[in-house]
Amino acid sequence: MDLSFSEEQLLLRDSVEKFISDKYSISERNKITATEDGFSAKNWQQFADLGWLALPFDEEDGGIGGSPVDTMVLMEEFGKGLVVEPYLATVVMVGTAIAEYGSGAQKAEIISGIVDGGLIASFAYAEQQAQYDLNNIATTAKKDGDIYLLNGTKSVVLNAQSADKILVSTRTSGNQCDSDGITLFLVNATAEGITRQDYPTVDGLRASEIEFKDVKIPADNIVGQLNKGAAIIDKVVTRAILAIAAEAVGAMEVLYKDTVEYTKQREQFDHPLSDFQVLKHRMTEMFMEHSLAKSLCMKATMLESQGSIEAKRTIHALKYLIGKSGKFIGENAVQLHGGMGMTEELRVAHYFKRLMIIDSQLGNSDYHLSQFTK
Amino acid sequence: MDIEFSKEDLTFQKDVRRFINDNLPTGMEMWTKRSEWFEALRDKGGWDVHKWPVEFGGPGFTPTQRYIFDMEMGRNSTPPQLPFGVGMLAPILMNYGTKEQQERFLPGIRDGSVNWCQGYSEPGAGSDLANLRTRAVLSDDGSHYLVNGQKTWTTLAHIAHWIFCLTRTSSAGRKQEGITFLLMPMDDPGIEVKPIITLGGSHSVNEVYLTDVKVPVENRVGEEGKGWTYAKGLLIHERTGLAGIQNSVLALEKAKENARAVNTGNGTLMDDSAFKNKIGALEAELLALEFTELRSLASVSAGANPGPESSIMKLKGTEIQQRISALNLESAGIYAAPWGTQSVGPNFSKGATSGYLGGRATTIFGGASEVQKDVIAKNVLDLGS
Repeated sequence: MDLSFSEEQLLLRDSVEKFISDKYSISERNKITATEDGFSAKNWQQFADLGWLALPFDEEDGGIGGSPVDTMVLMEEFGKGLVVEPYLATVVMVGTAIAEYGSGAQKAEIISGIVDGGLIASFAYAEQQAQYDLNNIATTAKKDGDIYLLNGTKSVVLNAQSADKILVSTRTSGNQCDSDGITLFLVNATAEGITRQDYPTVDGLRASEIEFKDVKIPADNIVGQLNKGAAIIDKVVTRAILAIAAEAVGAMEVLYKDTVEYTKQREQFDHPLSDFQVLKHRMTEMFMEHSLAKSLCMKATMLESQGSIEAKRTIHALKYLIGKSGKFIGENAVQLHGGMGMTEELRVAHYFKRLMIIDSQLGNSDYHLSQFTK
Repeated sequence: MDIEFSKEDLTFQKDVRRFINDNLPTGMEMWTKRSEWFEALRDKGGWDVHKWPVEFGGPGFTPTQRYIFDMEMGRNSTPPQLPFGVGMLAPILMNYGTKEQQERFLPGIRDGSVNWCQGYSEPGAGSDLANLRTRAVLSDDGSHYLVNGQKTWTTLAHIAHWIFCLTRTSSAGRKQEGITFLLMPMDDPGIEVKPIITLGGSHSVNEVYLTDVKVPVENRVGEEGKGWTYAKGLLIHERTGLAGIQNSVLALEKAKENARAVNTGNGTLMDDSAFKNKIGALEAELLALEFTELRSLASVSAGANPGPESSIMKLKGTEIQQRISALNLESAGIYAAPWGTQSVGPNFSKGATSGYLGGRATTIFGGASEVQKDVIAKNVLDLGS
């Protein structure tokens, strides 16, 4: 057993850490989130130059052959900086789907596009009526000669407004909630019949509602096999949960440490707040919640990296715990910062909001607890 | 990063499992063949004292081997050893005792022929242990101490042959100074033991009154006035062993089994989502805590300090133990009520209430949870005074 990071992982961590401290102060981030696209194309290109966009992909596909542990290292640091660039949507979600299930031609186009920074992609998996059941798909794709006609509406699609390609989950057979009969299509974002409603999200990102109306898709654009898309969604969700869990661990660390520092400086009743035992104990609990969440994040990620059959159950436990501890640490960070915690000015509020939204993504705490106890 | 144990460690794990399989008494023999079990452990090469250093007869386990050993023993509910001698006093004697003291006391500790109890807490010295007042006055000729005072919450004092005590030999300076570590036989006419019955109805702790107990100086461990330093090291030792993760893993499995035997009219209690969610939450936290222990083991194995995360083990581990015992109370339902060992109700309900009540002690002894939080706030988060 060896829980230490490799030389390469330590280098990766240091380089992301350096990027955050040089380029990602909260005021810089505010400038980025206020732009049209909600992220910095310059940063994205730098990610490409540093090899971060190639991280999880096989060397033969032009990647650098990293494991989920490498992605964890990167995402934890991203979480400390609240990075808004579309890494989750493009590299983790669409990247995983194509790298694991895509055809040679799809890999050649999509993976190399992602790796060199020229291609942004997003994954349209959610629908309004489905809540967290990703097999509940009302969007249909009907065969019409050599092509498929896509119809339906997808919800809260991350970074869709900047995407060149959108991966869409559709129903090609069976009933609305069946796991069989789901097919994934790679769609050009500018295809005729696509209407988007773009909006900012609470955590400073961008998302869209997307309506597909008789959008024509060539059969070659199916990712994986017809009607067998559920397994792809499952793999993508697994990797995405691990990524946002690591991001949450990074964000929680910033929050508990910021709170400790703030209470040392802020004086009331002629004492620094950190002298008060009730606050010391609260911060101790915040520290403990972070430690436990980090432990389970490491465990689940290592299990997935080793292809263990325990990985899936552990990931349910992880997402449950991340939701619970993120809420506890976020709420208490705001509480212990007092009035200042309520402002947009301090970074605490932004970390809290990101943790809130992480809980709402890909199944919240209660949802995963019920999956875990099944 | 690699979550698997090394090949050598896996071989060791197999060896431990085989040993348990070959030697562990089952059923009623758990009680009648206890000493055979410990003899077999000893003959295996010091496994009865697996944390002792080689020069004192221990096996010289690496930190990982120690972890694996504890885990396998915990998973198989092997007969527990009383912690006071082997785990708590012995390391102090090895570090600070004279050669004569080591030769005199370690063999009895090891073979279990001499039971020890710990005389630390006093009516006025609980979490604030350094506030202790039991006086030890050195005789004019320097041959012995005369000890007067009272100890309390003394676990198993009523079956102990000896007690190791913190006593006050000086009131000058800080409270932590002037404390001296003394050993006394329990059959001394000046020692009186009175039982304390705790809220679960059981007797394991006592009050111990010390009246003009004459302790020869050769029963003092280390230097006069340095007892606090010795005991502090030991308290850390006590705390790290109290998380009881493997016991909790077993207890949680048992709690599920109990709940499956409870009919609710709508299936069993395990089909009840409120109950099931409590089980799931506990299981998730236990997984996280188990891996937290591995993280600190990994730091220790790499030659570093256990890391800040190790500080949460006792705090969180005991909280989890208590929450599991509360589940058994829920399964017992109306049969939570019968007091004592009545032969009514389903089997698992017997002991559910006393287990829950008795278990409240775990967040109080060995440093109350609130004290643990103070310690973490100070040592890990660097939060003042």
